[in-house]
Amino acid sequence: MKKPDAIILGAGIVGAACALQLTNAGLRVLVIDRGAIASGTTGSGEGNILVSDKEPGAELTLAMRSRDAWFELSDDIGGGFELEAKGGLVVARTSEDIQELRALASRQKIAGVEAEEADGEGLRQLEPYLSEEISFGVHYSGDAQCQPMLATAQILRVVRERGGSVLPETNVTGISMKDGAVTGVVTSSGAYSSEIVVNAGGTWAGEIAALAGSFMPIAPRKGFILVTAPLPQLIRHKVYDADYVANVASDDVSIQSSAVVEGTRSGTILIGASRERVGFASNFDVSVLRLLAAQAIALFPVLKNVPLMRAYYGFRPYAPDHLPVIGEDPVVRGLWHAAGHEGAGIGLAPATAELVRAQITGSKSFMDAELFSPARFYFDGQPRMDLIS
Amino acid sequence: MITIIGGGPAGIAAALAAARGGERVRIIEGTPRLGGQYWRHLPEEDEERWVGQEKLHDDFQEGYQLRLEVLRHPNIEILFNTHVWHAEIANDQITLNIVRDSNSSQLSTEALILATGAYDRSLPFPGWDIPGVMTAGAAQSLLKGSYVHAGRRVVVAGTGPFLMPVASGLLNDGVAVVGLFEANRISRWIPFTYVVLANFSKVLLARKYMRDFSVHKVKFKRGHAVVRANAGPDGVLRSVTVAKVDRKFKVKMATEREILCDALAISWGFTPDMSIAHNLGIEQHLDVNDGSVVVVVDECQQTSVNQVFAAGEVTGIGGSELAMTEGEIAGMTSARTLGAAWSVEEEEHFKGLVKKRAAQRRFARALSQVYGVQANWMEWLTPETLICRCEEVSIADIQNAVHNLGATNIRSTKLFTRVGMGLCQGRTCSRSVIEILSKESGVNAEVEDHLSAAKRQIVHPISLGMIANSSSVEDSHHNH
Repeated sequence: MKKPDAIILGAGIVGAACALQLTNAGLRVLVIDRGAIASGTTGSGEGNILVSDKEPGAELTLAMRSRDAWFELSDDIGGGFELEAKGGLVVARTSEDIQELRALASRQKIAGVEAEEADGEGLRQLEPYLSEEISFGVHYSGDAQCQPMLATAQILRVVRERGGSVLPETNVTGISMKDGAVTGVVTSSGAYSSEIVVNAGGTWAGEIAALAGSFMPIAPRKGFILVTAPLPQLIRHKVYDADYVANVASDDVSIQSSAVVEGTRSGTILIGASRERVGFASNFDVSVLRLLAAQAIALFPVLKNVPLMRAYYGFRPYAPDHLPVIGEDPVVRGLWHAAGHEGAGIGLAPATAELVRAQITGSKSFMDAELFSPARFYFDGQPRMDLIS
Repeated sequence: MITIIGGGPAGIAAALAAARGGERVRIIEGTPRLGGQYWRHLPEEDEERWVGQEKLHDDFQEGYQLRLEVLRHPNIEILFNTHVWHAEIANDQITLNIVRDSNSSQLSTEALILATGAYDRSLPFPGWDIPGVMTAGAAQSLLKGSYVHAGRRVVVAGTGPFLMPVASGLLNDGVAVVGLFEANRISRWIPFTYVVLANFSKVLLARKYMRDFSVHKVKFKRGHAVVRANAGPDGVLRSVTVAKVDRKFKVKMATEREILCDALAISWGFTPDMSIAHNLGIEQHLDVNDGSVVVVVDECQQTSVNQVFAAGEVTGIGGSELAMTEGEIAGMTSARTLGAAWSVEEEEHFKGLVKKRAAQRRFARALSQVYGVQANWMEWLTPETLICRCEEVSIADIQNAVHNLGATNIRSTKLFTRVGMGLCQGRTCSRSVIEILSKESGVNAEVEDHLSAAKRQIVHPISLGMIANSSSVEDSHHNH
């Protein structure tokens, strides 16, 4: 293998997207993962590409660019990962929630998000099986969905075709450095040198940063997904309750849950999204299932008699301020981070990769990414240990 | 309280032994009757229709008596039509989430015996998804359980001693068995001569079946396999293609011939049902004899988890007699861990059971090795042969996942192709997928792959409404 221009650690969606961007910029990339392709958080997700769940700000700017970037990426690699501009429908029940959702939608509209209020007949037309108790919703035509594991695999297939390499099932045991700059990585199958290393380790990105002696407080936030038996199409959009947005931003340690319900191409219905801060706890908690099932039925009473076929959980990577970490490490030169996207990694991956490419190649990017910089975890040159909860 | 999951031979023996030890016993059984797949006969209340069942099953009487004994035992409660959909263990407390009469609730128990048995192992081959093709187990269940014939002209094929009772039962009930094909050769028994001699009753039983075949002029052909099923214009089974195969199941040139039939009963052995063992985090390993994942047990049938025992096929495929010996041991020892004292006679009896189990395991091991599924079965497949029928994933799709999408293990193959993600949750195909994956990638599957393929958090489908309304252990305490 020729010496790579850049090594990407992590073969999840973010690592794959970065690999494609850097390949397209003319770099020879090597992607390394300790497991199989898409076997971490990417493999336990729903494939959300959402603009609806973000308040105006840097993350929404990233999400809006990323949403379009997904469709450009699909054209670039020839699709093959069930990308679908299905749209989202956020609903609210109480007058208080309706008011809040209205206000959020109008703020988002100012930021350029397409959001249409829907009630009565309009709401039924969007989702015929929606609970009759729900009288108000906002339709976000920009929300989309893909099959994230296939997306990752297809992107990496194209990366290989364009000269890059992928090494799955390979453990990275060290990051070699000289004079405060990265010189390569040491793995279970030998050492590889490169002056550019991209940390796309997702929930485990903190461990990779630590290999280089750097600090990044990324922690897991557990979530369950319920999968029903395959059915004819009942649900057309990604449908969720407005309090989902509040849950995403919550710092509460205990469980939050508000059902996100959607159909897939294969006919199954996916029900997320619980959020728990319980470390990498591997227990299968039936009470979480109970909560998610009840919330899904509250949105779509028809789901009451639908059999649950499968359920699984994964760990979202979250940073203390719930923002992704994108940019060069403040203490290790040549180490670039692209991680910490919490539950939005699939949606945010292509635009994250564009930022990484722009920063590495020194070209202009579509937004100022200062807020995402890993420098925020340092104060006065010292790691902010107070951020570890 | 000892809870036994599964009312087959292992569960029945375990229940009687535990109840004899003075313990209260609860059996959770998914069907409306006891007996499992092995004694899958008519329900007890249909007694007058039982006449003639003997000729369909050789030790029918024994099963009948045992079932009655369990049903009448004052210390044994049976929850029929009840499924465990998820089992949990936390702080040494075992909780079973069950579904019964469209209600979900939780049960707790002091000790648990897993006697969940096994299901038929299927191998994919061209045409295996045509109506009329079924597992031998299904054909036998139809006959024993409801006197329904799989077809009028039936071919019985595959490998293993199970083919014999299936064919004999069909013949004795007047069905035309138009072909009986065992893929392995009898010479594979040679290394196990001593085991055969030590289990001579089995030889006599096999001879009885062979007599049945000769009376009905059915030729038992070894070294032959059904390599294709063919549909007629109506889309249902019209014929099967049979070929001579070598020791590795490679088809011999120019030996293919077509046999007209309307049903194919096919058996490639069995796969233990590991779902609940997996829920509980019980240590499992790969049974080197037949490549299935089984529960690790000690001499007392105790698993790696405190107060959880396992008996029967979940500890390794071995048939009903071994299952009953293991069940009895599990029943006795679980009762003892809850405080039952053993008399001198019981100590002696236990020692006898341990010896009996060792001999039965030797025989089971020989059977697994003689009647293995040999690697070249994969050559029977064409690119469009479906591997996963639920999700309609072909072998070409799996090859694409390995060679183009970079799948390196069973999980990534599943995630890229949906293989094993359908209604049966990979129960039918995952072993085949692992073999195909190993062949395509050139890397032998790891034990991890086998374990991950057997992993199912939701053991039995349950409606979302039932989950939402399920009661927790606090409000559903079982009263006696």
